[in-house]
Amino acid sequence: MPLIEVQDLKKTYRIGSVDVPALRGVSFKVDYGEFVAIMGPSGSGKTTLMNLIGCLDRPTSGMYKLDGIDAGKLSDSARAAIRNRKIGFVFQSFNLLPRQSALKNTLLPMLYANQGKNVQLAKKSLESVGLGHRFHHTPMQLSGGEQQRVAIARALINDPPVMFGDEPTGNLDSATGVEIMAIFQRLNNEGKTVIIVTHEPDIAQHAKRVLRFRDGLLESDEEVKEQRIAVPKPRE
Amino acid sequence: MGILDAIQTGLSELLSHKMRSMLTMLGVIFGVAAVIAMVSIGEGAKQEALDQIKQMGINVIHVKRASITGELADKAEERSPFGLRYADADSITNVCAFADLVVPTREVFADVKAGERPVAVKIVGTTPGYLTVARSQIQEGRFLTDIDIRDHRPVCVLGAAAKRELFGFDDPLGRTVKANKRLFRVVGMLKPKEVGSAKAFAALRDLNSDIYIPINVSMTDFKIASQQAIPADIVKLEKIFLRMLSRQSMANQALSEVIVQVQSEEATGPSASVIRSVLNRSHRGIRDYEIIIPAELLRQSQQTQRIFNIVMAAIASISLLVGGIGIMNIMLATVTQRTREIGVRRCVGATRWDIVRQFMLEALVITCAGGLIGVAGGIGGARAISEYAGWRTVVSMQAIIVSFGVSALVGVVFGMYPAIRAALVDPIEALRYG
Repeated sequence: MPLIEVQDLKKTYRIGSVDVPALRGVSFKVDYGEFVAIMGPSGSGKTTLMNLIGCLDRPTSGMYKLDGIDAGKLSDSARAAIRNRKIGFVFQSFNLLPRQSALKNTLLPMLYANQGKNVQLAKKSLESVGLGHRFHHTPMQLSGGEQQRVAIARALINDPPVMFGDEPTGNLDSATGVEIMAIFQRLNNEGKTVIIVTHEPDIAQHAKRVLRFRDGLLESDEEVKEQRIAVPKPRE
Repeated sequence: MGILDAIQTGLSELLSHKMRSMLTMLGVIFGVAAVIAMVSIGEGAKQEALDQIKQMGINVIHVKRASITGELADKAEERSPFGLRYADADSITNVCAFADLVVPTREVFADVKAGERPVAVKIVGTTPGYLTVARSQIQEGRFLTDIDIRDHRPVCVLGAAAKRELFGFDDPLGRTVKANKRLFRVVGMLKPKEVGSAKAFAALRDLNSDIYIPINVSMTDFKIASQQAIPADIVKLEKIFLRMLSRQSMANQALSEVIVQVQSEEATGPSASVIRSVLNRSHRGIRDYEIIIPAELLRQSQQTQRIFNIVMAAIASISLLVGGIGIMNIMLATVTQRTREIGVRRCVGATRWDIVRQFMLEALVITCAGGLIGVAGGIGGARAISEYAGWRTVVSMQAIIVSFGVSALVGVVFGMYPAIRAALVDPIEALRYG
């Protein structure tokens, strides 16, 4: 059973009285343990696809299965539960709660999982991304790279099978971007499925497989021949 | 999300905007404080009235002489020439089955001397029963007795204030006072009587400065100025003087007041109507007397209290309404400002219900905190009022519970709409927002 199975997925937005097709029938599968980059110019439908497979939105038609669950037809609260347990989100603009500490931000998905909070787990998660010394800093007191690592720690806290990164290095300088990609690669090596959306070919080279979109259709689906290994520069 | 986590989230959100939270609370704080302070004033006034009426006695009826002037005075002079008379006290004793005690009093103002300095007091001629109906107590010596009356003894009993004025700290027993060129031997003095600060009822006055003598001594030694009828006609006026000069029979002697004590509070109503009809007949329809029933006054004051309570509840609910609208306004602004936060929470797994609950709890925390501060402010306000204005205030538990409950309700009602707005935010839009 694949982790993600998409069959003829379509999404049409209605703007005024005009139907605007954003996805026009897309099919693909992603297996457990893959590292996939989704590429395409703006307007190609990659953000729409991300919203659909991230269970933030519902398709107009077509089938979408995540971890064996038919997620396309679920209710709002059922999709919230899937986002909570099956998916870890990492965004371009980090999206941390501004007045909460790194630790509290990391704990957030756990609060909505109804399993009580496990502060030790959150600390471990932050330590795993190299922020063992930053538990009580608020996002304002952290650099961009550190904020993104808090976001990754948050995405990992409920141990979801898949991580979604929406332009995860878009707001970072290239050196910091490499650091973040190194973390994603390490997670992938540890067995986590990682899917990132990017428009930078350099970043996409860190994945094992690239899906290219154009005008709402899947243009190409190819293996990366030489996966680039992210080696962060040691900081002075 | 567990309820404790949700409350904690709400609290930390409020604490991170202390100024805004405080301003939001103000409406509720003032509303609750106003309710509690106002209720405590009302409750204090009620207690005060209750105490005063209780002091008069709940099972007594006062029949007082009333002055009549103008055109009615001529009629009064013709038909009922003596106003309230000793005979009236007798007829009340005869007809009123519930009456335990019927005590006539005769009040005159006079200058009384113990040494050189004259003191203006009221001299009350009465019978031994007065001690009971006035709810007074003997401090020292004794009160008037039947023997004093039988033997026409020139003795007197001093009220606490009168004793202090006349004798200071000396022992007055056995000494004499001089009034109207007559000497009276002091046989007793009364304990001081509590008199409420607010003179809520005309029927009440400070009884402590009175001096009590046997009623028949009062009749022979002091004349009551005719208060009840002052005819314009000079001939009729002359007749009054002639009558006052001639010796009158005891029955025709004017009285100031007849105090009737009945068996129970329930008996006051029927007894009062019996007394009214008897006096109406003997006075030939002239209302030169008034009947005061403390139990009735109590009922009237409770009626007034009820109206006051309704007005107050209306004012308080308006201020709470304004406070609630203020909260809704701020919460709506907060929802817009925190759109991104809502998006993040939804994205990591918050359901719509989680978001509704979070914002509802925040509103509830604001109003409950405001309610608590308001309760403290209301109690403090009531203290301050009784301190500076000298009014009696009673903070009732009921007022605290009700106003706090209403403020919590305001949080639920006015937090609902902003919370629903927050829950309907589209997470995709919200994450892109700002």
